Amino acid sequence: MNSRRKPSKVQHSIKRVVLDVLKLRDPPLPEFASTLCSLPNVEDVKVSLVEIDQNTESVKVTIEGRNIDLDNVQKLMKNHGAVIHSIDEVVVQKESSINP
Amino acid sequence: MESLNRIISRIRLYIKITHIGELARRYFVQNGMDGSMTALGIILGSWAAKVEEPFVIVMAGLGACLAMGVSGFFGAYITEKAERRRIIKDLEESILSDLNDSLQQSASEFAQTFAALICGLSPALTAIISLIPFIISMFGDLTIWSSYVISTIIAFSELFALGLFLGHVARERMLTYGLQMVVAGMIIAFILLAIGGYGSI
Repeated sequence: MNSRRKPSKVQHSIKRVVLDVLKLRDPPLPEFASTLCSLPNVEDVKVSLVEIDQNTESVKVTIEGRNIDLDNVQKLMKNHGAVIHSIDEVVVQKESSINP
Repeated sequence: MESLNRIISRIRLYIKITHIGELARRYFVQNGMDGSMTALGIILGSWAAKVEEPFVIVMAGLGACLAMGVSGFFGAYITEKAERRRIIKDLEESILSDLNDSLQQSASEFAQTFAALICGLSPALTAIISLIPFIISMFGDLTIWSSYVISTIIAFSELFALGLFLGHVARERMLTYGLQMVVAGMIIAFILLAIGGYGSI
């Protein structure tokens, strides 16, 4: 019996992203990082302070997980007084799923 | 229970973001002192006028409580709202983005209401507490003259307690602050007692 396998569908998912973000000083870094970590599919969040002034902080945000949704990340950041200036690094992995 | 914990955490975050905690402490003491001093003025003024009907003192006191409460609430709400709007606009300029429906906007709205509640409730509560002996006297369970004495002691105790709180906030000698507040109350007492004594001549 020769069962033919259909070709597997290849998907890509973001597993790591490094963002250059401008955020307001409140909420402070620990709360900001915890909020990002509460997103689905996010496993690790690292926030490093780059620059600070009276009202704002420039930070480097590193998010790791499986199939990270950048739109959700952007929306959450905007709701917490932060804007993404640039995406500095992205790591995408291939995920293949075999069709039945 | 979990949702209550979540609400408390959210409130703590709002207080942290808006720094309303420091302002709230100031409002609480300032307005609480207003309430106690107003009640003390009514009590001692009534004594000087030889008012023997507790109902008169209670109604005058409740009128003052209501006025202070409403004035405190609305005054603080409108003032804080204007200040918070300005702060939000400054922040929007800093990040070149709007803050509609953001955490900062929600925290700002919370801060307005919180400040208003403190400014409205603290003078009203301190004044009402001082009037409790007269309310009891209305039901005949206390003589009017005992009510005068107990209410005066309560009003001075409130001032002392507010001073202790300030001393705790300042991390200095609490007793010194407490006594300073009592001295402020004594000034009213001396003047009104002198007027009362002069009036009886």
